[in-house]
Amino acid sequence: MEETVIRFEHVWKSYGEQPVLKDFSLEIGKGEFLAVIGRSGCGKTTALKLVNGLIVPDTGRVEVKGQDISCADPVMLRRQIGYAIQNVGLFPHMTVEKNIAYVPSVSRMDGWKGEDRRKKTEELLRQVGLSPALAGRFPRELSGGQRQRVGIARALAASPDILLMDEPFGAVDAITREQLQDEILKIHRERGLTVLFVTHDIEEALKLGTRVLVMEEGTVQQCDIPSRLLSAPATDFVEKLVCRRREPEVRM
Amino acid sequence: MLQLLSSVFTLYQERADWFAGLLADHIALAFCAIVMSLIIGLALGIWISEHPRIAPAVMGLCNVLYTIPAISLLGILIPFSGIGNETAVIALTIYGVMPMVRNTYAGLTTLDADILEAAKGMGSTRLQTLLRVKLPMAAGVILAGVRNMVVMTISVAGIASFVGAGGLGVAIYRGITIYNPAMTAAGSILIALLALAFDLALGKLEKYFKKRGSL
Ligand SMILES: Nc1ncnc2c1ncn2[C@@H]1O[C@H](COP(=O)(O)OP(=O)(O)O)[C@@H](O)[C@H]1O
Ligand SMILES: [Mg+2]
Repeated sequence: MEETVIRFEHVWKSYGEQPVLKDFSLEIGKGEFLAVIGRSGCGKTTALKLVNGLIVPDTGRVEVKGQDISCADPVMLRRQIGYAIQNVGLFPHMTVEKNIAYVPSVSRMDGWKGEDRRKKTEELLRQVGLSPALAGRFPRELSGGQRQRVGIARALAASPDILLMDEPFGAVDAITREQLQDEILKIHRERGLTVLFVTHDIEEALKLGTRVLVMEEGTVQQCDIPSRLLSAPATDFVEKLVCRRREPEVRM
Repeated sequence: MLQLLSSVFTLYQERADWFAGLLADHIALAFCAIVMSLIIGLALGIWISEHPRIAPAVMGLCNVLYTIPAISLLGILIPFSGIGNETAVIALTIYGVMPMVRNTYAGLTTLDADILEAAKGMGSTRLQTLLRVKLPMAAGVILAGVRNMVVMTISVAGIASFVGAGGLGVAIYRGITIYNPAMTAAGSILIALLALAFDLALGKLEKYFKKRGSL
């Protein structure tokens, strides 16, 4: 197996009495695209936020690039990890360009001033399939799909090698969604990123993931390549889930 | 009524320099209190929004102070700070802090949770989140508090002359003591116009921020 970039070791997490993750263990290799799927409330978002330290495990540990993140500076850790969330969370008072340049700006990265910033923003906008002419607009002047794209560009700006995406295509129409899926596949291939991608859509998970993790009530049901999920579902839950899809579109 | 107005105008003409002086004093007095309220109110509002547990206590205290009638607040302060501008500025500041704290706190604690989570998840420090995300997004609400506070300070400064402070209150007070209603009206009208002018200007600014800051 390739070098492990993210490792969960026997993580338990509960809110009050209710356990959300139960003895959750998982390894994600460099360059993998792990699609996480499961019903709403099964703990996908919780698992994702453990990686950038927005949530701290009750017991167990999370390692990123071999380092236990409870020992790391959370701010420095997060600046190295791209983060795109479902509701995008663009800053309404900043232009598209300033939104995209946010992480480089707060981490005072070199080469993100004036003309350089403009060029880099344009390049990122093109990569996510947007016109560079949008750089000066405010988020409220964009369509839902355009906002999602800007959110992805923002997550990519500081050239992270890990990308966390929490249902990033949740709020767009089917056609835009498909385009966005193709964009992210392209970006994953070109940049060799390690991606942790949460979705509740099994077709999306099978299309995007080099591996798919099926979760249910805070436990791992199965974590395997898409074709094996279809040919050898580990539990009834997985079987039911994959049977519900309409047209299988499997990444080989 | 018309007669009163015409005698107000003659007063303005005859004693233009005196009124100009009072107006300048009034602006200076209000300005001091406004700056103090702005700094203290903003700092206090930011502080309690970052430490929500102490917020109810601070807000409660501000509310209590706010309910003390202006005249009695001035009276209470005299033994401590004597008579003159100083007491007036302190009293006006105590009043002005309340709307500033309330709006700063409200503005900073009702922001979109997703946006704040994004800011944190991307690696902003607490200070960066505050300065780059929270305050700009809350600017519209905070500015509404500033507007409220400025207008109130300008008008309440009119009674500051009761503790020997300067400003247009001097004309009001003298008008009352020498039984010259025109003089009282002349001072009051200038205060009202001043407050109105600031209200309009800050309203424009507020609109601009609202337009930029919210979706
Ligand atoms: N801050 C919180 N306080 C209490 N319960 C929470 C909190 N965050 C999440 N939960 C609960 O934990 C469970 C898992 O949440 P989450 O990881 O967001 O699920 P998913 O992303 O799979 O829909 C849900 O039942 C949710 O209600
Ligand atoms: Mg979720």
